[in-house]
Amino acid sequence: MNSLHPRIRIVWILRAIILGIVVGSIGLGLATVLEASPLVAVAVAVLVAVVGVSHAILRYRNWRYVVGEDAIYLERGVLTEIRTEVPLVRIQHVDSRRSAFERLVGLASTVVYTAGSRGADVTIPGLTPENADGLRKRLKQLVIDTDGEDAV
Amino acid sequence: MKLAPASIPYRAFQKATSLGITLVFVASIGAGIRLGSPEFLLLVAGILVAAVFYEIAYYKRFEYELTDDTFDLRSGVFSRREREIPYGRIQNVDISRNVLQRLVGLSAVNIETAGGGSTEAVIQYVSEFEGKRLQQDIRRYKRGESAESASVAEQSERRTDEELLFEIAPSELALSGILSFDPRVPGLILAVFTGSIPFVSPIVPVDGPPLVLVVVFAILLAGGVVLAWVVGAISAVINYWGFRLTRSDDELRYERGLLQRYSGTIPFDKIQAMTITDNPLKRRAGYATLAVETAGYAPGQASGRGSEAAVPIASRERVEGLANEIAPSDQPTFKQPPKRIRRRYLARYLIALGVITAVLYGLVVWLEATGTIPWYLLVVAVVLTPIAAHYKWVHRGYCLGENHLFTRNGFWSRETKLVAYYRIQTVIDTRTIFQRRWSVATVIADTAGSLSLLGTDAAAVDIDQQDAERLREELSERLRAALADRRRARSGGFEWLGEDGDQSPTAESADDQIGRPQPDDTDQNRLENEPADECADSEHTDSEHEVDDHQAVDGKTDHESDDQHNTDRDNSPGSTD
Repeated sequence: MNSLHPRIRIVWILRAIILGIVVGSIGLGLATVLEASPLVAVAVAVLVAVVGVSHAILRYRNWRYVVGEDAIYLERGVLTEIRTEVPLVRIQHVDSRRSAFERLVGLASTVVYTAGSRGADVTIPGLTPENADGLRKRLKQLVIDTDGEDAV
Repeated sequence: MKLAPASIPYRAFQKATSLGITLVFVASIGAGIRLGSPEFLLLVAGILVAAVFYEIAYYKRFEYELTDDTFDLRSGVFSRREREIPYGRIQNVDISRNVLQRLVGLSAVNIETAGGGSTEAVIQYVSEFEGKRLQQDIRRYKRGESAESASVAEQSERRTDEELLFEIAPSELALSGILSFDPRVPGLILAVFTGSIPFVSPIVPVDGPPLVLVVVFAILLAGGVVLAWVVGAISAVINYWGFRLTRSDDELRYERGLLQRYSGTIPFDKIQAMTITDNPLKRRAGYATLAVETAGYAPGQASGRGSEAAVPIASRERVEGLANEIAPSDQPTFKQPPKRIRRRYLARYLIALGVITAVLYGLVVWLEATGTIPWYLLVVAVVLTPIAAHYKWVHRGYCLGENHLFTRNGFWSRETKLVAYYRIQTVIDTRTIFQRRWSVATVIADTAGSLSLLGTDAAAVDIDQQDAERLREELSERLRAALADRRRARSGGFEWLGEDGDQSPTAESADDQIGRPQPDDTDQNRLENEPADECADSEHTDSEHEVDDHQAVDGKTDHESDDQHNTDRDNSPGSTD
């Protein structure tokens, strides 16, 4: 079982804080328009940020993945724990992605697509760019080897 | 190949009509155009001529072709599109013909693959014969035969070997009409009604006594419901008129429709899942509904029509028999979630009831009508909650069959899903924070079926966490095994069967004589090499026996050991099932 790269926490925490700031500024705007106390808005924003940050930390702690011989297995989730098993035969294509935040901390994600309707795309975040590329290439090779002739 | 020449005037007429309607609409809302003026008539004539010219160009530039391994389509007047669809990727080939098209002998052909949001190849229109020929040729190419190899005699033979699986009886059609309720109608009425309030309000005695108002409202409501029901009934009867399902050796064929005739094919190996739906009333009367899912239809696209091969209503035995024909499987014995989970449902219902009562009480207090409205009456329903919880539990379960996963959920609308192991895309195991408290989990077998986009995947809900773990591993294991079997069956023919038994040479030569793959046979082989069936627990040997008998009569599958099977074959050399 692999965990994600620890730096992914920075990305998630940053996102939570930004969400808090956005909520806070909207709240402050509303408070000035409605001539209400800005304290409530600040409190809500802080609450959002705190919940977001703790969620990010827990999320990192619960994330596990493993690329097995014939399936990818992922375990994640804070409130709802989700374990997904993606058979390699079912993979349609693989992306590696780097969002702006991820580039900031030098990380990348790998996205695996299947033809399924619910788990149609599975993202493995928090990989180093080399790892993400390596994973993508390895998956590509495995998929070719397993002959996904009847993927749908 | 080209479209049918008759498609030019038909398409031009179609286009001109829709343009004309738009124009009349624009004129009617007062855009300064007078309907009778010579300018207007000139405009209409111009549009008609332009439409005819466009359609001639469309006809000239539309070409399709059946090559050895792809279906090619070249189309487009201004922007060209060239498309190649490999036969192996084609999910459905559908033909539809409305009344007008039937009069002039045209068919619209739609070819669906799993990818993309819309129909991949729309061929509007070809002659009726050409449509049928396309359907058959695509099927033949798919099997790897060339068009020439099939003689005319063989073609007629193939048509006769179609076996009727299901034909809707008049009583079933009537019943499906009676049970249909078009939910879109009340919304439409509401929209029309709110739009026409300025006209209606003078008639409705708004300032009359409240009783009159209530009566008027009730009459309107009842009228709306009746109308919705009538519209639903009529549309169901029109849609499912003459519904029949036939099977040829590797495909399911459906035909239905009164005004617009639909027909199409669904290859067996593209069926993603089957759903049998019923409700307490239908269960009591012994009826059920069946839907066959494929990956061909994009969400929303088939919304009006639903699953193409859906049996609207039929007796339970007929539906189960049909499901068994399409995917041979035994009667599932459902494993229910642990009993403790009933307490969770009970708690859930009690909380819901409490919330509703509290809201009601709040309303009553707010309206200052504490003495008049008996808000506490709802509390009586507490007596019913344990029963409801029990029934929810009773109707929930899953079962690992030989080739299929069965899941069942819901009391009011009970859905029994059947997913072949080799159709599973991913296996998802989720535990919400509440489920963790009861140490249960939900295991979802995700497929590429189109209905599952609405969130109704085959799911074993609230099963014990250890069971969930086991189920998840078992499902992936069986998926792998089923895929490996299929691959071997496809590439190695029947050689691999000889490895584990004494496959008789007579049977092999019998297969050779036929000279084309026998999907029935491979299915049979697969059946027998599957891991042991978990549904048939020791407590349930009776029903397993029944299934055996039934299938022995059918001559399709038998559940005996390999040796038994081979002896059977030895005794009847040349039998082709």
